[in-house]
Amino acid sequence: MAGQLNIRWTMKRRLAAMGLLLGAVAMLGQPLRGHVVTIDTQELAALVEGKVDHVLPEELAAWIIQGQSDYRLVDLREPDAFTAYHIPTAENIPLAQLPTAGLPRNEKIILYSDGGIHAAQAWMLMRVQGYVGSTTLFGGLDGWKEDVVFPIAPTEPTAQQAAQFERALQVAQFFGGRGRAASAGGDTQALSIAAPVAPKSTVSGPATPKAGGPAKKKKKEGC
Amino acid sequence: MNTPLFKFGAFGDEMSLVVAFAIGIAFGWFLERAGFGSARKLVAQFYLTDLAVFKVMFTAIVTAMLGVFYLGWLGVLDLELLYLSDTNLWPQIVGGLVLGIGFVIGGYCPGTSLVAIATGKIDALFFVGGVMFGVLAIGEAFPLVKTFYESGNYGRLTLPEVLHLPYGVVVFLVVLMALGGFVLAEWAERRFGGASKEA
Repeated sequence: MAGQLNIRWTMKRRLAAMGLLLGAVAMLGQPLRGHVVTIDTQELAALVEGKVDHVLPEELAAWIIQGQSDYRLVDLREPDAFTAYHIPTAENIPLAQLPTAGLPRNEKIILYSDGGIHAAQAWMLMRVQGYVGSTTLFGGLDGWKEDVVFPIAPTEPTAQQAAQFERALQVAQFFGGRGRAASAGGDTQALSIAAPVAPKSTVSGPATPKAGGPAKKKKKEGC
Repeated sequence: MNTPLFKFGAFGDEMSLVVAFAIGIAFGWFLERAGFGSARKLVAQFYLTDLAVFKVMFTAIVTAMLGVFYLGWLGVLDLELLYLSDTNLWPQIVGGLVLGIGFVIGGYCPGTSLVAIATGKIDALFFVGGVMFGVLAIGEAFPLVKTFYESGNYGRLTLPEVLHLPYGVVVFLVVLMALGGFVLAEWAERRFGGASKEA
């Protein structure tokens, strides 16, 4: 009987037995590592120095206008500040709730607060929890207003700079802002306070958060 | 070394295209070597005469599943970073049927049609033309089907979550299912195949 069994060990059956064995042993295992993460401080420092820990306001603006939906934009400020004004497509998760918000780790997460500090601290918190896809919005909401919503006209622009500013103006209009003169030093204050009027929804922008703009699903598989 | 390599920043966007190209070529090569550049071979599975496609695909699934599971267990692969698409129940059922019917009628699935083009099959050329036309048509008609397209959304589901079973148990069950499937497939081939071996 045993001899007969041995003869019948064809390649196919050997592979099947191996699969069965691996499957059976798998019942004892746990493939998810949970929230235990080893932090490589050198790696983090390299990320910061390499400037890959943030996205620029102009980049984000382009993504929103194109209706990209392969990121999560997280507003770390308090809910009332969020209601007053937020960047289109953003969702509100105050800093204190971030660790328990249960964001998926396999997505690109862009964090922003008013300035850069809170977001940077939140970024560190996220990295410690193994959120390798998290980044910050460079300059925060202030930078967003300065660079995207109320771009400054260059003084004595070259043709290239002028064209650049022209494009910036179109982007600003999309987000309900306008350009301003470089000299208006004291005026900036007034502008950034006047800003929180929520982007004009007359422009068919993805003003509502959550929905994630026009569904441009990423498809990565198939037989 | 940590994986997934791309998400951990082992290479950037441009390099990812090179890697994808290399993987794609390798995938195509193995499909061709398994005989999947031939519409006859592919369609034979629907007549239960030759279930090589089923066996190769299920073997690939089991191999990949075991690989991913054990790499995760060993701490090499961070499973939570893998990309999962949402479950949209109804549109995915309809989409599966459309793909399956197209498969029986056309003789290819999207990947194998490209493999067949690479080996100079003219019917595959027409098949890919049809695929392109379908993509264009659904893209243009998207506003009309948008509601359906997004219906039945259950977010990102995995079998362990749905079945409330430990990960490893699901792995074992899938292995059992595959082995059972192979036994059945070979039985069916003996029963219905035999004669059409020369195809």
